[in-house]
Amino acid sequence: MALLRSLVRKGLSSSTGKNITFQALRSAGGWNKDFAPGPFPKTEEERRAAAKRYNMHPDEYQPYPDESYGMGDYPKLPDISGESKDPYYNWDFPEHKRNFGDPIHAHADAIGEDRWNISAKPKIPYKTQILVSIGFIGSLIGIYFLTYDFTYYQPVMPKQLPANGVHYTFEPAE
Amino acid sequence: MGTYWSSYRHPENFPDRTREPTFDPLYGFPNGRKPREMIASVEEMEAAKLDLCDRDYCAHKLLEFRKCRSDNWPWVANCKHEKHAYLTCEFDDFVLRMKEHEREKRLKDRQMRLNAKNKALELSE
Repeated sequence: MALLRSLVRKGLSSSTGKNITFQALRSAGGWNKDFAPGPFPKTEEERRAAAKRYNMHPDEYQPYPDESYGMGDYPKLPDISGESKDPYYNWDFPEHKRNFGDPIHAHADAIGEDRWNISAKPKIPYKTQILVSIGFIGSLIGIYFLTYDFTYYQPVMPKQLPANGVHYTFEPAE
Repeated sequence: MGTYWSSYRHPENFPDRTREPTFDPLYGFPNGRKPREMIASVEEMEAAKLDLCDRDYCAHKLLEFRKCRSDNWPWVANCKHEKHAYLTCEFDDFVLRMKEHEREKRLKDRQMRLNAKNKALELSE
């Protein structure tokens, strides 16, 4: 506290120092504790207050279940990736496909437009894709083990090196 | 003949490609066999730092080829005759080893037939 007091006193004595000090005090807000969600709403009134805090209608507002994951009163939004949102809609922020005041998904960092498309509906279902992959690799491994005992190689004896002893041609000796 | 078929039909009679032949090399040759002669000496090969796997019965041709290359560099195309001679020698060596393989296989088959015959004789007695 003494340090802060001396800083302010020193800062107020000159015009440059004054600006620096005020700037530091102005940006003192916006810490992690300010972003943190509030406690899980238990009563109807708390629910309404939380919905208002997140710019949502009380009928739409639905918090994450109170399972001590630290979500508190943060709203549980539908899992829609940026990639699945309409690119031709007149968004307020087209780069994020988001309107002004829209609540942000709790996992927005993971399901952004350049990340995982959680709401994708692939032409070939994921189950089929996994089955085809496992089937293909599995049949390769199966062929490997089924044909393991039938190895083929060129019908030739090992290389004849003079250092290993005497070797003969197929011509008769004199 | 029929390498794949015989290795499937009688795998116990199929020669081991990693071992030397197991039968007497002179068996079945009434006039004997001419031994293969090694022309390059050990000192020559050591001086040329030949790889161990290259110190076979064609080493003298390989030495000639390498000498020709080093003398004619960079016009190494002048050494095409030496190269061809060396590769022909290696080809003949491979054919000889294939013949050895076939001999080993036929002798093993013969041994199996002989064993079956002796067993049948013992049972009949």
